[in-house]
Amino acid sequence: MVLRDVVANEKRNAFMLCNEAIVRGALESDVKVVAFYPGAPTSEVLDTFNDAVGSFDYHMEIATNEKVALEICAGASFAGIRSLTAMKSVGTNVASDALFVLGYTGVRGGLVLVMADDPHAHSSQSEQDGRFFAPNAYIPMLEPSTAQEAKDMVKRAFEISERHRVPVIVRTVTRVNHQSGIVRLDGIDRKEFRRVKWRELNEEFTTLGEGARQKKLKMLKRAEELATEFESSEFNYVRDAPSDFGIITSSVSYLYVLEALKILGLESKAKVLKLGTTYPLPKNLIRTFIKGLAKVLIVEELSPYLEREVYALAKDTNPAVTIYGKWSGTFSEAWEYNPNLVVKGIAAALGMSAPDYDSIVDDAKKLKVALPDRYPTFCAGCPHRGTWAALSQALKNKPHYFSNDIGCYSMWIYPPISHADSSLCMGASVGVANGLSNVIEERVVAVVGDSTFYHAAIPAIMNAVHNGNKFTLIILDNSVTAMTGQQPNFSTDFTAGWRQGKKVSIENICRAIGIEFVEIVDSYDAKKNIDVFKRALDFDGLSIVISRRECALYGDRNKRRKGEAIIPFYIDTEQCKKAYVCMRDFYCPCYSIDETDKKPRIAQEQCDGCSVCSKLCPFVAVKRTEVKP
Amino acid sequence: MSFDIFLCGVGGQGLVLLTSVIGNACVKAGKRAITGEMYGLSQRSGTVFVHMRVGDDAYSPLIPYGAADVIIALEGMEALRYVEFLKKGGIILMNNRLMHPPIETSKLLKDKQAKYITIDEIVSKLKEWTPNVAVVDGLSIAKESGNLNAENTVFLGCISVLKDFPLEEKFIRESISQVVPEKSIEQNLKAFELGRKSAYDSLCKLVSCKQV
Repeated sequence: MVLRDVVANEKRNAFMLCNEAIVRGALESDVKVVAFYPGAPTSEVLDTFNDAVGSFDYHMEIATNEKVALEICAGASFAGIRSLTAMKSVGTNVASDALFVLGYTGVRGGLVLVMADDPHAHSSQSEQDGRFFAPNAYIPMLEPSTAQEAKDMVKRAFEISERHRVPVIVRTVTRVNHQSGIVRLDGIDRKEFRRVKWRELNEEFTTLGEGARQKKLKMLKRAEELATEFESSEFNYVRDAPSDFGIITSSVSYLYVLEALKILGLESKAKVLKLGTTYPLPKNLIRTFIKGLAKVLIVEELSPYLEREVYALAKDTNPAVTIYGKWSGTFSEAWEYNPNLVVKGIAAALGMSAPDYDSIVDDAKKLKVALPDRYPTFCAGCPHRGTWAALSQALKNKPHYFSNDIGCYSMWIYPPISHADSSLCMGASVGVANGLSNVIEERVVAVVGDSTFYHAAIPAIMNAVHNGNKFTLIILDNSVTAMTGQQPNFSTDFTAGWRQGKKVSIENICRAIGIEFVEIVDSYDAKKNIDVFKRALDFDGLSIVISRRECALYGDRNKRRKGEAIIPFYIDTEQCKKAYVCMRDFYCPCYSIDETDKKPRIAQEQCDGCSVCSKLCPFVAVKRTEVKP
Repeated sequence: MSFDIFLCGVGGQGLVLLTSVIGNACVKAGKRAITGEMYGLSQRSGTVFVHMRVGDDAYSPLIPYGAADVIIALEGMEALRYVEFLKKGGIILMNNRLMHPPIETSKLLKDKQAKYITIDEIVSKLKEWTPNVAVVDGLSIAKESGNLNAENTVFLGCISVLKDFPLEEKFIRESISQVVPEKSIEQNLKAFELGRKSAYDSLCKLVSCKQV
């Protein structure tokens, strides 16, 4: 991350992550209000705004959840102020309640929603295809392929939003968000932020009954106007070639197509239609493109969104054209694409041979037989490791259902721990626990992080209180939204830009709504906490244990800021009796076994000095390194 | 033709910073660059990789299988994990440091006969793919530079001497000075220099390098 490039009021080239280019585009568009809930792969949009907040006068909020974030932007936009939010695919589900209505009410100041889908579910619970939100809500959508295009589209999106009085979705995928490239910086020309006189605006943004019916008609008219406008958008273009074979593509798939054509030596032998405005689609442009083609290949990840349109348009325009895509079996609806897959697909459509990528992968696989897997795991010093050390002991011999949620602790589902009965979406651990607690014999244990607690768990907890549902909820409070990069949330004294914020007390909320069993423990006190967890599990009612200790990475950052040293632990091999309590079931990445004396060792450069393992050792063999004063 | 580097390692080793340094040097050199970056779910101790492509005809953010010119592995095992991206006869520059994942260690706890994978085993497997495997003692060289976290820059120093490496040394130095945190610029420049020197004793015996 090079913040200098993002904030520089200069016209030159810079190497940027797409998410930074999105921020740059918004700054060049004089955005005044930004609000987010963090979520991969968009978190760096939030982080970059968070880091740049001191350089500009925009108002930024890290919101309770994506719905609130979008509503903050809507509020600003109603007053004529430009606003932007960014969210991951599934975050849009949360925000969608507001999004659908904003299609009806319209907006005033430019409102841009960056929605990042995650084909391959790299860091998400599903591969949902968010493109369908756009036609469903009659909200225009632009899809960039590169960092440069993302910046250009964000700028254009603000203009479209204001001209048509509608939010605009800029839809990305992980391989676009987490792509860096050379981006041309335009200057940053910003006007001073001033409060608006609402009484002078004379607008209304309501919709209900007859109002909704009238606005639906206006919305349809707007969609038609947008469709006409997008026919000549600079974001749709044709790479022509003297050929009766054409490819229609968008997003990152366009880049895979270019790479594949190069590999196959077909660069001047296939027409390519690159679509940047994917709602409303430029139907005339597509019609013109497929006219006269013998074969057309649709290259898009996830659902056949473009493909079904092409089928519909071909019916009248060119019924003889053979359409290759997902329905022909050329491509799958599952998982993300890559250049290798696209090479194969193009070759299959043309009946030509392709490089044998399968044999490359097979050859490599043979070399990797003895290679250990490296699953995502908890950092050295992670408080969740301490919580698990105690919770797993308390759960031993206690039949239970384990209801997991979304956060770093989701990784408990991975080996070597592999412990979870269900894990759905933000806050669902508690919702599901409500349902289970009345229908199964075993005790239900739900876990939720601090950020997820605020985001979506509170309604489900109140539901348990009101209906008398009995289960145990462990709230893992590590002060920040850890998994997405330690953004401040309501559990810290900080808000966006690390400015002073007011902490929202988890225990006060729990007690205020009438929960009798609320105990707070230090996640690092693994031994002591076993008993607390046991009592919570045996409690005849709803019991809550708040396991509290700041995220290790966040803690390290605070230590560095204060100039405090991180003092690692070591194994006193004289004292060690090889009980392995320090490492068995604990799985700290600092630990390995010395193959000569079979005793544990701690990698000094990785150890975070959390002390949890040292407290577990019955022989006091895990010791803190002495530091000379 | 593009020059394709597959960078990999373990979360926390500074791959993202390394990517910024190379990319920023590309801007200075007037070269086109594109990356595909994967940070994984965990922020430390998980596998991390970056497809780094330099050149006008590098379109895709992902390197096709069997096409990378170089794999740089800041952790030994990770070189083998992604070997399918390397072209046959390509270059592997790998750390001699192994960070054993907890799942591997837990196998040793359960089975007294189980052993950790070794650098030699990894190198011998990689040599079935390419003869050009150079092992670097990244941590020691970083230590010598005065900054344990500068392993990433050591590797950049090594690769920068390759005959086909598309960026001039001065652009990389300028880029380091702009991209790394101010207090560690000197150490990183030193790590870069030490990496360059070390390459002439190992890497350059396998493949052709720039004249000193």
